[in-house]
Amino acid sequence: MTLSNVSVGKRVKIKDLKTDKNFRKKLMELGLFPGQIIEIIQDAPFGGPMKIRVKDYCIALRRDEASGIEVEEVE
Amino acid sequence: MSKTIKVALAGNPNTGKTTLLNAIAGTNLRVGNWPGVTVEKKEAVVNYNGYKIEFIDLPGIYSLGNQTAEEKVTIDFLIKEKPDIIVNIVDSTNLERNLYLTVQLLELEIPLIVVLNMWDEAVEKGIQIDVKKLSELLCCKVIPTSAVHKKGIKEILDSIIELAEKPKFIQCTHFESQVETFLLELADEIRKKQPILFDLFPKRFLVISLIEGIDLQNFGIEIHPDILKKAEEIRKKLEKLYKKDISSIIIEERYSIVISIYEQCVKKDTIKDVDTTLILDKIFLNKIFGIPIFLFLAWLMFEFTFELSAPYVDWLDSSLSNVIANWAYQGLTAINAPEWLISLITEGVIGGVGFVLVFVPVLFFLYIFMGILEGSGYMSRAAFLMDRFMSFIGLSGKSFIPLLIGFGCNVPGVYATRTIENPKEKILTALMIPFMSCSARLTVYAFFVTAFFTNHKALVILSLYMLGIIVAVTLAFILHRSYFKTESQHFILELPPYRIPTFRFIMLSAWSKTKAFLIDAGTFIFATALIVWFLLNVPFGVQSKEDSLFGHIAKVITPIFEPLGFGHWEASGALITGFVAKEVVLSTMGNIYAGEVVEEEQQKIGIIEGLKEIGVGFINANIEAGKKLISLFGLISNEEEEEPADNTLLNAVRKEFTPLSAFSFLVFLLLYTPCMATIFAIKQELNSWKWMAISVMISLTTAWIVSFTVYHIGKLIISG
Ligand SMILES: Nc1nc2c(ncn2[C@@H]2O[C@H](COP(=O)(O)OP(=O)(O)O)[C@@H](O)[C@H]2O)c(=O)[nH]1
Ligand SMILES: [Mg+2]
Repeated sequence: MTLSNVSVGKRVKIKDLKTDKNFRKKLMELGLFPGQIIEIIQDAPFGGPMKIRVKDYCIALRRDEASGIEVEEVE
Repeated sequence: MSKTIKVALAGNPNTGKTTLLNAIAGTNLRVGNWPGVTVEKKEAVVNYNGYKIEFIDLPGIYSLGNQTAEEKVTIDFLIKEKPDIIVNIVDSTNLERNLYLTVQLLELEIPLIVVLNMWDEAVEKGIQIDVKKLSELLCCKVIPTSAVHKKGIKEILDSIIELAEKPKFIQCTHFESQVETFLLELADEIRKKQPILFDLFPKRFLVISLIEGIDLQNFGIEIHPDILKKAEEIRKKLEKLYKKDISSIIIEERYSIVISIYEQCVKKDTIKDVDTTLILDKIFLNKIFGIPIFLFLAWLMFEFTFELSAPYVDWLDSSLSNVIANWAYQGLTAINAPEWLISLITEGVIGGVGFVLVFVPVLFFLYIFMGILEGSGYMSRAAFLMDRFMSFIGLSGKSFIPLLIGFGCNVPGVYATRTIENPKEKILTALMIPFMSCSARLTVYAFFVTAFFTNHKALVILSLYMLGIIVAVTLAFILHRSYFKTESQHFILELPPYRIPTFRFIMLSAWSKTKAFLIDAGTFIFATALIVWFLLNVPFGVQSKEDSLFGHIAKVITPIFEPLGFGHWEASGALITGFVAKEVVLSTMGNIYAGEVVEEEQQKIGIIEGLKEIGVGFINANIEAGKKLISLFGLISNEEEEEPADNTLLNAVRKEFTPLSAFSFLVFLLLYTPCMATIFAIKQELNSWKWMAISVMISLTTAWIVSFTVYHIGKLIISG
């Protein structure tokens, strides 16, 4: 499952980052590394970016970029 | 002589760095750009306890990399300029992510002070941070502050002095011991082969960078090949050991330091109060209402910027031309100054000052509103909502507002790109703005449609606006796909909590940015206006514009416009003055076609009388602005009267132009170049003469090609 098809309100755990090297580095530095739990808060209209919460803050990612982030559901 | 201490402020975006610098420095703040890049630079000098403390506000960054322009500026400054002290501002409510940068800054081995800003918010949210423990674990001073409430400022200044008197740095954050062993191994190799590197770079930073394989070339030093070989060897070993790529290993090492510190120092009350940001985002980012709300706010901002500033623009204009120019005239005639000098002062100099000053109210209002949108955290919501529509031409949602403002006036439009951090997006947006048809151009369209297209007024004007947008979008699309193709800018947008920006802070920063305009672009605009005055008046005493230097130049360039359908010198002359400001195109035409304007009767204005006029005018401007503010919300309807067009000019223009050549002329006028003020604004905001030149070249060639096409297709249609 990738982050791009997780629905709003769900909490998931990052499994792997299948993105290019620079972007992976960026994501990890922001705390989005494998093992981290994140929550999908909201998504933008017309298939725009999605707002997710990680640690104590929120960021937005575009859908095609989120599709490189593999996640698994947590209870 | 007092001792100077160089202090760099570093931290994540939205942690309150600028607010803190404002609280420390007040009006001493200077805004500029980092050399060679489009990244904002803020500096301030503060005298405190016999020391001169120089503060430099570094760009907000999440990590010390070398990927974005902001990161490059930061690392370059920290390594090359070696500040005495780094003040690391962190957001207490978001400590975990913020501490990542702190751990990286500690690798630079520069004395560090950690400032826990937003302390008030942390308290409110029930986040308890053990300051003493944090200070012990990081081995540096930790100070809780609240920049908006000016709490903790004195403690920061005192700690800076203390640390400057007794510089102290202890490295006490470490990676796992097997990684540390490798770091030592590489350090040994450097000591043997090229010890000078230790003088140029902080030791820990150097070793980690080499192992990670980060390019240090741009610091202008060749690394010994043996060292590079050794670093690669270690990298391979580590990657094999951890079964991960080296960057992941290092980032996770840093984060494990962060997490361990975080867990020891931070406690959260379980009873959490309502999260206002979450609720507000339910409204502002709503799938249905989000975009309409944004469009409403954008419209409000447009009105706010232009409507509210208009009375002040008028006031400045009339004070200068009615009072100041009059005084100058009286003074100069009293001392029998020659005619040309009187003209130079009253028209050239005072006129040039006017060209600059009319932008001041507009920019000031713009900066206030932008400051509110940005400081509250709404601007990143705008980017979130509009991303879908802007990303195909390489822009993010943040470009929308500057482009919209451009329809009012291109100059504030260009300055509104200040909120775009990404240099590529900023450059693209600034290059698009000249094609947004501003209201000054509208005055010319309005005149020409009255002369030629009485039955299709709205259609013709609308087609021009659309044409401008199409050209801008095409240009951005082409540049995005060609020049900026290699730029792989990933979209990561933080959505910070909503905060209430402080009034004082917004006024201060609006003022310092307006001041920066006066000093930078203002100088060039003034100089250009003077040059144009010379062109119009040389040789001195010329009676008709046709015989002036200006007339000669207009005639020389006229053939260029022959293929576009308006190859007469009057038209090219109007275009030249249109470069100064579009507002003067019509008056130039009136001047040329309808002959000399009758000299207005100059009435003498005394000192008291003049001062009174200025003062009363200012009060009236305030009242007028107040009325407009109310009418913005629809309480008073504000009717604007339309000025009737000048009949002699209408007839003259009808003789010279055909409807088709008139339309071609309007197309050219729309595209060829906004005005000198916009051009210098681009130069100032992009911090680059190169981009300014490129913008002008693009405008001129596009204008010619499009007008040519329009004219010839039109001819085909008419004849066919
Ligand atoms: N509650 C609170 N808000 C703050 C504090 N410091 C700054 N802010 C607000 O946080 C927002 C971002 O501040 P700014 O200085 O622009 O952050 P920068 O991006 O780091 O320069 C503004 O709305 C400030 O008013 C603080 O100590 N407490
Ligand atoms: Mg700032």
